[in-house]
Amino acid sequence: MINLSSEIAYDSVWTGLNILQSAIISAQLRFLLSLLLSVEMLEKIILLLCCSCAVAQHLCTPDASDGYKVRLSIKTALEGQAYEWNENEMFLFRATLAFAMRNHIREQKFEVSNIIVCNETPRVSFWFVVTSPESTSVLIGKEDVEEAVRKSRNRINSAFLLTDKTLEFIGILPTLAAPVDPDTPPWLIVFGVVMGIVGAGIILLLVSSVVQKKRKNEMTDDEENCEETRVKTVENGSVGEGVYNMSFSDDERFTQM
Amino acid sequence: MEKDARPSWDNPTQFVLACVSYAVGLGNVWRFPYLCQSHGGGGFLIPYLLMLVLEGVPLFYLELAIGQKMRSGSIRAWSNISPYLGGLGLASVVTSLYLCLYYNIINAWSFWYLFHSFQSVLPWSVCPINSNRTGPIEECEKASSTQYFFYRETLNISPTIEENGGIHMGQALCFVLAWLITYLFVVRGVKSTGKVVYFTATFPYVVLVIYLIRGITLHGAANGIKYMFTPKMEELANISTWINAATQIFFSLGLGFGSLVAFASYNQYNNNFERQAIIVSFINSGTSIFASIVTFAIYGFKATVNYENCLERTRVLLMNTFDLAEDSISMDNVFDWIEKLNATHPLQFAQIADKYDDCNLESELDTAVEGTGLAFIVYSEAIKNMPLSQLWSVLYFIMLLLLGMGSMLGNVTAIITPLRDFKMLSHMSNELFNGLVCLFCMLLGLGFTTPPGNYWFTMFNDYGATFSLLFIVLIEVITVSYIYGIRRFEKDIEDMIGHRPNWYWKTMWVVVSPVLLIALFIFYIINYTMGGTPTYQAWDKELGKSVVTEYPVFGQVFIGLLLVSSVSCVPLTALYVFCRKRKHGSRRKPELVSMVSA
Repeated sequence: MINLSSEIAYDSVWTGLNILQSAIISAQLRFLLSLLLSVEMLEKIILLLCCSCAVAQHLCTPDASDGYKVRLSIKTALEGQAYEWNENEMFLFRATLAFAMRNHIREQKFEVSNIIVCNETPRVSFWFVVTSPESTSVLIGKEDVEEAVRKSRNRINSAFLLTDKTLEFIGILPTLAAPVDPDTPPWLIVFGVVMGIVGAGIILLLVSSVVQKKRKNEMTDDEENCEETRVKTVENGSVGEGVYNMSFSDDERFTQM
Repeated sequence: MEKDARPSWDNPTQFVLACVSYAVGLGNVWRFPYLCQSHGGGGFLIPYLLMLVLEGVPLFYLELAIGQKMRSGSIRAWSNISPYLGGLGLASVVTSLYLCLYYNIINAWSFWYLFHSFQSVLPWSVCPINSNRTGPIEECEKASSTQYFFYRETLNISPTIEENGGIHMGQALCFVLAWLITYLFVVRGVKSTGKVVYFTATFPYVVLVIYLIRGITLHGAANGIKYMFTPKMEELANISTWINAATQIFFSLGLGFGSLVAFASYNQYNNNFERQAIIVSFINSGTSIFASIVTFAIYGFKATVNYENCLERTRVLLMNTFDLAEDSISMDNVFDWIEKLNATHPLQFAQIADKYDDCNLESELDTAVEGTGLAFIVYSEAIKNMPLSQLWSVLYFIMLLLLGMGSMLGNVTAIITPLRDFKMLSHMSNELFNGLVCLFCMLLGLGFTTPPGNYWFTMFNDYGATFSLLFIVLIEVITVSYIYGIRRFEKDIEDMIGHRPNWYWKTMWVVVSPVLLIALFIFYIINYTMGGTPTYQAWDKELGKSVVTEYPVFGQVFIGLLLVSSVSCVPLTALYVFCRKRKHGSRRKPELVSMVSA
């Protein structure tokens, strides 16, 4: 009877040990598995990151369908005070563009990393594309980028001390300033002044010639009256100065030179 | 009992200034420089001065002598010389009428440009923006801003002469103003004209001197002056050089319109017009040469600016296409870079080959433009590039206005003076009659402010006066030399100025001038008949430049009418007088008999 209980006790201890062993082993296995998994994850993450980088870099190519070419003419604009184009300026550009995108699409928070630049040339021209902040493999469409740039064009220009002509986004036409339209065209004003002067001159001349004619008529009337009275006095003989000889009066009126 | 004495100039200076103001006109500023340039630069002066001596001065002298002797307008003056030739005066009046109709339009354009100069940005210096504000208007971009302003905003020109449209209000207003000023200047006849010419004859010279100083100091002016004065002697062998020199002297002095006869008719009988004729002719030619120096200085400036702009455009194009650093190409080594890039990147270079235009200073200078094109397009283009462009623009257009108004005075006087010689019209007051003439011309001339107006203007300019003037002056000189008789003419001149004309004058009148004129006349007829259908330059909106178009049938008929209408006055009047004399002759004989018997 004692042999049976010790056998049972031995069996139970053995099973317990087995269970413990298996538990430990399973725990170890799980630990190893999780370790492996985490490494894999890391690798995947790293791979993914590299992939996404590569994909993102792939997204930015010259003539990309959703990208734009930018051209800066710093020396033309600023001549003596032109600054060097370097990495910091490029960073400023990307930040400004991120700002422009945030202004346009208010729900999404664009970061500097969302603006991807490629193909820089000594001319200072490059291509850029904009990726969505939610998923870096998705590009923001051309129309949205164009709208964003259009809205904030002034701010982008002034960040670089340039103008629409010297900071060009190839494909995005600048909205030109509205022409100033005065109510009365200025030429009409000058015309009115000159016309007024000329009109006044003509009226003056015409009036003065009419007045002159009237005066002449009055004078000739007076002279005719004078002649008549002279003739009358001669006839009456009350003036004893002799006979007035008509043929010697008013010479200028009859003789023509 | 009014004074019937003929009104006269206050002093001989007024007469000289009136002649100068009339002769020195827009042709001196825009036609002579063009001729100079297209016929060999400095070499053109040789035929020009030769023609001045052979034909210009003698014919000028002749017209002044006739006017001063006959003391009446062209119709009565020529009737007095020979009763059958009253038609000559009538032809002059008709030609002057045509001239009056279209000449004031140029003054209207000058006013338009003058008024538009009072803006901070000259309207012809920038292209206006199109309706969706993405860029300049297409027509303006294809042409240039100055051409767009002239053809679209000033004229609103139609694509051909056949199309019609309403009157351009701004143009019409300026046109009315031009006529009002003309009326203001001639309202009292010679009394008012005599005072005005002090200003219109002298102020243009002030502006020309100012412009000369400005022009010579412009960047690139030396190119233009050098270009003009390098004589190309081979041009002298070309017959058209001589023809053009003769025609230019002719029209520049304003012979044949009757204005000189009219002006001289208000002279004192003993005025020494011989000296005055020589003075005025040489002043006129001198002004032409002086004005062409100014024009070519400005021309050189404009050509240089265009050339440098072309270089700049090419430089930017190369930099942008090949993405080179900004300061790698400068204006001087553009051409070297072109060669280099063509060699290293031939494919890419071929792609931009159509955008790249050839920059050539010679070809810029070679673009000869004459007439209204030179005055309003080329000059305004040059002015917009000058600093303080508003000031230069105002000065320039005031000068154009004075030159044009001065010539208008002569044109209107040429119509008024002969018509006032008729008894029924002489009773009307000066003011009323002059006003009616101006009103009539203005109403007819409004047609030139419509969209095809510029094409009609060109037609009148090319055909309205040229042929008939040649004919008129030819008949004039033959009449005086052969029909009236050179001996009688000599005696008349001796009567007026105290000595007979010497052998030079007589040879010119009797031999040289008639021969020259006949040659010119024949050449003109040959040119006209052999030239095929007459054409004109129509402005094409799509292409942004002028294209040569043929006149439609009604246009050609009208040209024929213009040519024939004034010339036919001479034979028709001669016929009319002949018929009247025959009628009178058959009536007079019985009267004589009755008187004798009584």
